[in-house]
Amino acid sequence: MIRQRKLLLSALGVLLIVLLASFQYSRRIREYRSEHFLMDTLISIKVYGRNQEVLKKAVAEAFAEMRRIAELADGFPQPGTAAYGSSDVCRINAQAGKQPVMVDNDIMAMLELAKKYHHISLGAFDVTIGPLMELWGFGGEAPHVPDAHSIQAALARVGSDKLVLNGHERTAFLTKAGMKLDLGAMAKGYAAEKAIWILEKNGIEKALIDAGGNVRTLGRNVHEAPWKIGVKDPRKSAAVTAVLQLENASAVTSGDYYRYFEAGGKRYNHILDPRSGYPAVRTMSATVVTKDAGLADILSTVFFVLPPEKALETAGKMSGVEVFLVTADGRILHSSSLKGRIEVLPGDSYRYDQGR
Amino acid sequence: MTSQGTRRMVFMGLLVALATALHVVEGMLSIPLPVPGVKLGLANVVTLLAIYLYGFRDGLTVALMRVLLGSLISGMFLSPGFMLGLTGAVGSTMIMALLLKHTTCFSMIGISMAGAAAHNMGQLLAACLILQNSALIYYLPVLLLTGIPTGIFTGVLLNSLISQSEKSGMLNDLVRTSP
Amino acid sequence: MTRADKFLLAGLVLFSLLSMAALYSRFSGGDDKLQSSKAVISVQGKILRTIDLTPGTRSSFTLQGRLGPSIVGVEGNRIRMLEAPCAGKVCVNQRWIENPGETIVCIPGEIMIRIEGTAPLDAVTR
Repeated sequence: MIRQRKLLLSALGVLLIVLLASFQYSRRIREYRSEHFLMDTLISIKVYGRNQEVLKKAVAEAFAEMRRIAELADGFPQPGTAAYGSSDVCRINAQAGKQPVMVDNDIMAMLELAKKYHHISLGAFDVTIGPLMELWGFGGEAPHVPDAHSIQAALARVGSDKLVLNGHERTAFLTKAGMKLDLGAMAKGYAAEKAIWILEKNGIEKALIDAGGNVRTLGRNVHEAPWKIGVKDPRKSAAVTAVLQLENASAVTSGDYYRYFEAGGKRYNHILDPRSGYPAVRTMSATVVTKDAGLADILSTVFFVLPPEKALETAGKMSGVEVFLVTADGRILHSSSLKGRIEVLPGDSYRYDQGR
Repeated sequence: MTSQGTRRMVFMGLLVALATALHVVEGMLSIPLPVPGVKLGLANVVTLLAIYLYGFRDGLTVALMRVLLGSLISGMFLSPGFMLGLTGAVGSTMIMALLLKHTTCFSMIGISMAGAAAHNMGQLLAACLILQNSALIYYLPVLLLTGIPTGIFTGVLLNSLISQSEKSGMLNDLVRTSP
Repeated sequence: MTRADKFLLAGLVLFSLLSMAALYSRFSGGDDKLQSSKAVISVQGKILRTIDLTPGTRSSFTLQGRLGPSIVGVEGNRIRMLEAPCAGKVCVNQRWIENPGETIVCIPGEIMIRIEGTAPLDAVTR
């Protein structure tokens, strides 16, 4: 009798364990991924949590916000289209040399950041670079090397000092006719940072946003380890030059391999130095590691345009900012504080002096 | 046919039906493993009972019949999943019969654990052979581990069934008296 | 449970754990070099293609299995069977795999997709 009861109990015990295990299984941390095409590129968001509904809702909200910012910051739409009407940048450009335009809070924040870093970078970063970009034709089908005269003419219409912002009225004014804003060097990062803020607001603790190569991580990965983020090799298509370990940080790269054309045996990339009017050519790729994705996006352009040694020096003066560079002559340089969080893979192509 | 022989045939029919039903139901529980057709091995309880009552040959019959019928019913007849089921069934039947008839130290629990492990191993082996690749061995630990709880569960069930029947003499009529 | 039963149980558990340890080290590669992983696709035992699984890329292609054409999709560092001519569609239902050692198997089509290499990257900044 007792033996029977013992056996029955053990059988029930096994059943209970199975039930408990399946309950635990249903409460496990899951992944939810979603992707959308925005700002001319693929944006993907990966989040982790126990409640699938919460994950879905948070990601949808994040994408909605990214879409809103993308529409406000889009300088490409033509007059008469719906997209033109919802773009603050288009309106600002339309009123260049005429009058100030009232703008959305986020556009205001972006423009204020842009002016701040324009000064810090001694002019290497400039969102009023629109006329120059148009002249070179990087957005379109037939990019070409403009003659020196056209470049000088375009440069006359470039200069963030000619962008007047009024915080009280929330207006932006391009004071000279023919000026054009181009927020391409900072919009993706800024949008990604807002998206992360929304995910955090929804209680999410682990997430990764890949906005066309702008990476922003939240927390650690599912295995409680830092996220492993590769830095794309500027010359080899499926290889990485380094692997970063990030926790609650962003990694954004500016490179000369994304949009460029070749003419007369030389490569002309789309990251122009606003001071000279020509592409910056001393660096092949500049990757910035810092918490804020908007800042990382801005600084990646800054550190790409500045000469490599100057870029390292400037990064060193900023707290919480680190940079990884692959110079045009094949050297790998990076902030010394990145040691311990980076694994450099120079391979046969690049020279890496560990002393850096 | 003797009345005992008839009883045996009828009971065998029942066992096959039961085993087949278990096989089909098991197939519907989707286990998140990429080796298709991998099952927990619950249907083995019936096979083991058949071996206990009637010996290896009849146990094998029950096992093979359940794979055949089960596959016909679930529409997997002659599919590779069917091959996996066969190897699993044959492997586990052999091991269980071996242990039951030639050892005395194991109870039904141990035998059914061994049977479940052999069942899963047999399936893994068949899958590797079909794909001509040993990479699936990656799943060896998981398969072994999942076999253990089901083995214990079915073993406990059988143990209690047998001790019950020993008291009440329930199964005596069914057991073959000749060796 | 008899003593022999308990020994068997312990033996099985021990064997599983040991094989897990052995397999884990085999599939994770010896060194710490972190690179993107590859997917090896073989049909009827012969290697058909090896695909680099780098984050940020997306592709799909058709391959011929024993039963006919199957479509495989690659998205960054994961891969899956999109369509297959087999009856059970177990391979398709399995969805994505991305870790080294994981496999997608289509037994009727005799297709195997296996991930090799060391730990995959979560993303690539570019």
